[in-house]
Amino acid sequence: MKITVDFDHCEVHGDCVVAAPEVFDIGDDDDVVQVLDDNPGEELRTKVETAAKMCPVAAIKLGA
Amino acid sequence: MTLTASELGVLSTDTYAQGDPTTFGLPLDHFDYIRDNEPCFMQEFNDPMLIEKAWVVSRNEDIWEVDRNQQRYAADRGYVNMWKVTPIDPTMGGQPAMLTSDGERHRAQRQVMSKGFTPKVVAKLEEKFREYAVTIIDEALDKREFNFVQDIGHAMPMEALGDVLGVPPGDRAKFFSWVDTFAAPFDTRITPSFDYVMEAIGNLMVYSTELAEAKRQNPGDDVMSRIVAAGADAMSEDEIMGNVALLASGAAESTRTAMSHGMHEMMRNPTQMKWLRERQSDIPSSAIQEIVRIASPFTHLVRTATEDHVLQGQEISEGDIVLMLFVAGNFDPRAFDNPREFDLSREKNPHVSFGRGPHQCLGKHVASLEMKVLFEELLQRTKDIQPNGDIEYVRDAYSRGVYNLPVTLTPA
Ligand code: HEM
Ligand code: SF4
Repeated sequence: MKITVDFDHCEVHGDCVVAAPEVFDIGDDDDVVQVLDDNPGEELRTKVETAAKMCPVAAIKLGA
Repeated sequence: MTLTASELGVLSTDTYAQGDPTTFGLPLDHFDYIRDNEPCFMQEFNDPMLIEKAWVVSRNEDIWEVDRNQQRYAADRGYVNMWKVTPIDPTMGGQPAMLTSDGERHRAQRQVMSKGFTPKVVAKLEEKFREYAVTIIDEALDKREFNFVQDIGHAMPMEALGDVLGVPPGDRAKFFSWVDTFAAPFDTRITPSFDYVMEAIGNLMVYSTELAEAKRQNPGDDVMSRIVAAGADAMSEDEIMGNVALLASGAAESTRTAMSHGMHEMMRNPTQMKWLRERQSDIPSSAIQEIVRIASPFTHLVRTATEDHVLQGQEISEGDIVLMLFVAGNFDPRAFDNPREFDLSREKNPHVSFGRGPHQCLGKHVASLEMKVLFEELLQRTKDIQPNGDIEYVRDAYSRGVYNLPVTLTPA
């Protein structure tokens, strides 16, 4: 599944990191979230969907 | 039910001051009634210290929607809660803060401050928090009988706030005394009159400018140092004052309140206490989130509608105030299984105590860690904790503080 993050909106809330640490990370000096894997396998779909739902500014979009 | 929603007093001080301890101190039946029958109703306040009126939104899902839709529900058009005057409302003589900014201004401030709050930074605070907890519990064990709110709930959130912000040890006593007056500006047992609050705000504003200057000279690893390092584009002098006032009013009392309601519920539910004692070496996050849910330390916050629209059948006009009644949303059966049950293992917990939108609590990882560490130390070093009198609530309809929670400890 393809992931896109709208970096203009991301405010490093970190909810996505908590929901899907395999896919998202925030380093100490990051201004926006880092996408570790923008095309993760299907086994991570539930986690990534949770991340997208939790993101307070709805910055995460999922493709097929 | 013969009363209409606006007559039920879901935003009256008396409702919370005289809450029923067997229902978390909350009017749960009234919350059910408004969610079922008038999920968006007009509340008038009729008090010179309070806003005139607001649309009250009480369903969990609607609160998520209002909180997340900052285009439609603005935070930067005045007012924070039901109080007419707050130190962070620039339209009423205060200074702008994150919570009263939107869009670019919000993002700029939040990005600077959030670096002091990432999960990794917070994890580093754990060691210090544990030292505080050990000292607090040592003193409590000497006393055996005391008011949990004062003797256990007070110190940890205050010191934690001092650490996060970078308040030097020598300044902490005066800093804490200002913070205390914000806890309950209208409860005369705590704050004799509103003049004390105004004076404390003034002192705090002056102090925040001094602290900023001190950090420019001598930067550390704290939030204030990050703010001054980021420069005036990221945060103006006014915004620095506003954000210090925001932290002073939002960080300490809320955490103490959550701990106190949590302790009270555990004493009422021996099975839950036992469940937690079995996990006392590493308290799971579900337990902390459940405590934060039932505590709902801030009953509500408000936004201003930016356009005419319809919400739950009501015609909202641009400029109307929309009030998110978090505490009602936290007991909504549409969102929670058995919402009236205190369940420390609750899995699905979409509570709104920290908010859910762009303004979602920046300190939630800090607050959660404080509670985790404090309860771990408390449970590990006691065999039993029992009530030693009745719980008494703070007289306030915004901040759900506990005034007195008498307990007796039996050491392990
Ligand atoms: C259990 C304790 C706490 C509760 C219940 C709580 C609750 C809240 C709520 C409801 C909001 C507004 C959310 C919204 O409008 O969507 C908020 C915002 C905020 N909180 Fe907390 N808070 C707690 C502890 C803390 C702590 C410990 C800190 C800092 C050390 C903190 C710092 C902040 C800041 C800076 C904001 C403004 C964020 C923004 O506007 O972007 N809070 N908090
Ligand atoms: S949850 Fe949203 S805002 Fe937060 S870091 Fe992830 S993408 Fe960014």
